[in-house]
Amino acid sequence: MGQKAVLDAANVAAWVGGIRAKTSVMAPVKRGRASSAFSWIDDVSDLQLDYVRTVLSPKQAFLPAREPLMTVHRESLQVTPALATEPFVLLGIHPCDLTAVNQLDWSMLKRHNIEDPFYRARRQAATIVALDCMPDKYCFCTSVGSCATREGADVFMTPIPDGYLVEALTRKGSALLEGARLRNPSREEEAAADAFPERKRRRTILKIAAEAADLPALFERTYDSEIWEHTAKRCYSCGTCTNVCPTCFCFDVRELADLTLETASRWRQYDSCQFTDFALVAGGHNFRGDRPDRVRHRWFRKFVYLNREHGQPFCVGCGRCSQQCTAGISLVDVINSVIAEAKEKVA
Amino acid sequence: MTASLVRSYPERGGDSLYAPQPARILRAKQLTDLERMIELQLTNGRELGHRPGQFVQVSVFGYGEAPISICSSPAKKGSFEMTVRNMGGLTSALHRAKEGDTIGIRGPFGNGFPMSCMQGMDCLMVAGGIGMAPLRSVIDTVLADRDKYGQLIVLYGSRTPGDILFTDEIEAWKADKRNQILVAVDREAPGWDGHVGVVTTLFPQVKVNPKGVAASLCGPPVMYRFVLAELHAMRVPENQIFLSLERRMKCGMGKCGHCQIDGRCVCIDGPVFTAEEARGIHESI
Repeated sequence: MGQKAVLDAANVAAWVGGIRAKTSVMAPVKRGRASSAFSWIDDVSDLQLDYVRTVLSPKQAFLPAREPLMTVHRESLQVTPALATEPFVLLGIHPCDLTAVNQLDWSMLKRHNIEDPFYRARRQAATIVALDCMPDKYCFCTSVGSCATREGADVFMTPIPDGYLVEALTRKGSALLEGARLRNPSREEEAAADAFPERKRRRTILKIAAEAADLPALFERTYDSEIWEHTAKRCYSCGTCTNVCPTCFCFDVRELADLTLETASRWRQYDSCQFTDFALVAGGHNFRGDRPDRVRHRWFRKFVYLNREHGQPFCVGCGRCSQQCTAGISLVDVINSVIAEAKEKVA
Repeated sequence: MTASLVRSYPERGGDSLYAPQPARILRAKQLTDLERMIELQLTNGRELGHRPGQFVQVSVFGYGEAPISICSSPAKKGSFEMTVRNMGGLTSALHRAKEGDTIGIRGPFGNGFPMSCMQGMDCLMVAGGIGMAPLRSVIDTVLADRDKYGQLIVLYGSRTPGDILFTDEIEAWKADKRNQILVAVDREAPGWDGHVGVVTTLFPQVKVNPKGVAASLCGPPVMYRFVLAELHAMRVPENQIFLSLERRMKCGMGKCGHCQIDGRCVCIDGPVFTAEEARGIHESI
């Protein structure tokens, strides 16, 4: 463990192919002309490790967009829980998404000291190979402390010319690298990998104009700000931002009876705090019926509520919500307006 | 990718956090046109083990799950009760369910009302509409151990006389001189010679030492602001006021995110908060 080796680009497919022969692999693949997606790999040639950002985050490996919780049998009222138990490899996730996995670990496994059994089953079944990356104009991982995360990964890969410098960080990771054709790095290759984080930091242009730890106090000063009204005027409440977010974990639970009415299955699926009915209760009272309240809730939940509770913002700077927003709302622009207004109020 | 594990309703905890336990309907009683009280027993013979003010997630085959307050006191052994307002698919199925039918229960969830803070104090209950149901679990707990508590004052506001819940029991509560039970309806109605007005209009009849009173509130969101203003005027300390918040809830375990307000999950940290806590929580009231 911890030993650095080089995996030449030419040997990546053979390595992943070897893993795929034994277990399922979820990894980035090319979609359409300019898009990428995390997908279960059948053909290793689909692999696209030089991607910038997938539309949906790899959280789908642990929290699928929709998953069955159980089947209920009408007569016996017997319950058949659905639990994923087969091991799999999640390959090629960037440090921001790895940070998001760590945050989901906290919310689904540690928060309130309650372990979500479905998340736990998938999480325990996973071996994670993280891959370092270079930012584009939507990335701001350096502002939220997620740009150099290694915790949670079993293997860490740093791009170097014509290959990757790979390190096993856990025993599981060592086992996964056993099948790879590795060689010792040259001094230049080690230097290239060592310099990578700093190059990445320098190339990250987009920035939050305050320290992450100061955001709760700054946001609190803008609770009644017009920023929320203005942002809500542009927002469609479509829920894209929460769907693509690697740290959003809210879900709805639905029950579907089959046509024979012999069994019913209970499912959970992504929900969004931006949807009109998210806080609606029986009798018609809606605790967040106004769009500005829902918009504010999203920013406050990420940068104030969970930030205070967990000690880190529930945002990893991946840029998905800003890139995918149907109304072109930039998460960072809103945060920086909050910061500017909050500082003005004090001055 | 998924492997199924077949087993009958498992123990609580572990894999089965989302799996309901079966409970049999022992009795059902129509309380009003819209509300029905259902008495349940877990089929494994165990006590539910709840605290007053807690809630359960109720499963009905084919309809799913909904959070419903327990309206009986833990002092009642062998079964528990809930009052169901017929509002949608699942609740109307509960209105059609028959004695002997089996439904599913998860829970109890939430913190409940702090009974220990009420001991030795006068207990003021302020209920609006179906908010009376969770408070009945508190009232019955006080009545079951009557000498531990001071005066019991119940202020209950109902829309119409026909909407009043637990009418027989209210008469029984009135029989004890240590209890002051006041019921109001919103508007004049034929056959009603009691108080008319919203629940806050009952406050002038309440005479208590504000230092020695614990107030428990449950009702529609709009009620809290006005009742808190009355209690504030009476100089009841904010940490002696307990209010139960209603929110949409899917899991009851702080995972689904629906009931999060400010830094709190109402299903875990609530549903009961002191007025002091609620004042510091965005969107609480």
